[in-house]
Amino acid sequence: MLEMLSSTQFWVDVFKIIVIDLLLSGDNAVVIALACRNLPDAQRKKGIMYGVGGAIGLRIVLTFFAVSLLSLPYLKLVGALLLLWIGVKLILPEEEHGEGNIKAETHLLGAVKTIIIADFVMSLDNVLGVAAAANGNTFLLVFGLLISIPLIAWSSQLVLKLIDRFPVIIYAGGALLGYVAGEMLAGDALFKTLLEAQHVLHWLIPAGCALLVLVVGRWLAARKTAKARVIDLLDEQVPSPHDKS
Amino acid sequence: MTMKILIPVDGSAGANRAVEYVIRNVGWLKEAPQVCLLNVQWKLASGNVKLFINQETINDYYREQGAFALAEARAKLDSAGLAYSYHISIGAPAEAIVQYAQEQQVDQIVMSAHGQDKLSNLLLGSVASKVTHLASVPVLLIK
Repeated sequence: MLEMLSSTQFWVDVFKIIVIDLLLSGDNAVVIALACRNLPDAQRKKGIMYGVGGAIGLRIVLTFFAVSLLSLPYLKLVGALLLLWIGVKLILPEEEHGEGNIKAETHLLGAVKTIIIADFVMSLDNVLGVAAAANGNTFLLVFGLLISIPLIAWSSQLVLKLIDRFPVIIYAGGALLGYVAGEMLAGDALFKTLLEAQHVLHWLIPAGCALLVLVVGRWLAARKTAKARVIDLLDEQVPSPHDKS
Repeated sequence: MTMKILIPVDGSAGANRAVEYVIRNVGWLKEAPQVCLLNVQWKLASGNVKLFINQETINDYYREQGAFALAEARAKLDSAGLAYSYHISIGAPAEAIVQYAQEQQVDQIVMSAHGQDKLSNLLLGSVASKVTHLASVPVLLIK
């Protein structure tokens, strides 16, 4: 354990996991708050509590599920490809989804159901990223989970503010996901013999994947039209009392 | 010709001081100025959230948060008897403020030098400093 703490690789991995957790923390907290908005006051607190609890539980189960799946041969390949896509998606400007026919839940069970389904969908990228970065190290895995839990429970504008100030974070994050995907790819049984022969591939594959994510992300982003960034929500005039008289 | 003053507010004490400043110094102007209050909400609900929550609920949430941030500034203007308009935008604060100032062709932006969050001001720079860089009209910073 102490030996682990003194190795550089360990701290690099810790850093990777924190960045991945931050960038892929998802919008769980926002969904939880919004899903419970239309509940009666008495149920709202309960809804939030169940929602947060369920989300944390789900995240833990999914993480260990992902880890055991990734230990199977060739599934690392699939995981790596998914991660590459997640990296590209991070760089792409956000798509405006058409308004679906989603009705606001007004009872507790419905709200909790919404939260859990949303958590499931939004946790997948985070879980995969952390599992890949932890690379089988249980301590790192648990650490990654612990870091992500406050991010589930408390909505934070921190990430938004950081990206607003330093937009390059998005590209760094995309490149990091590509790098981690490359490491996973290199770890797959398929390439074992190849890698043993060519040691340079140990860093060449991750670096290549990081570059791939950046190039594809930039390319796809350039094809999209610039979106309107500011939305007007409400406009109202209040006349002075003198005008009325 | 009345002067049009934009006061961006986030509900913080500093922002409300900016409102007080304008009220206090109304006498400097020949005619009562046209005051525009603006609150900007971070776009918290991204594409993923919209898959699960309908737009109406999301907008209600922004509206509630915005109204809350605007409440004290509005009360001050109400009791001073000044006419004003108020507005809630969604986006990155500095960009939204500058864009609104352009759209409304305001003559001046009066805002607090320090916003809500002291720590992120320190680490990331304040909204005010970004507005002073981007805006094409004079920006008056209130300490």
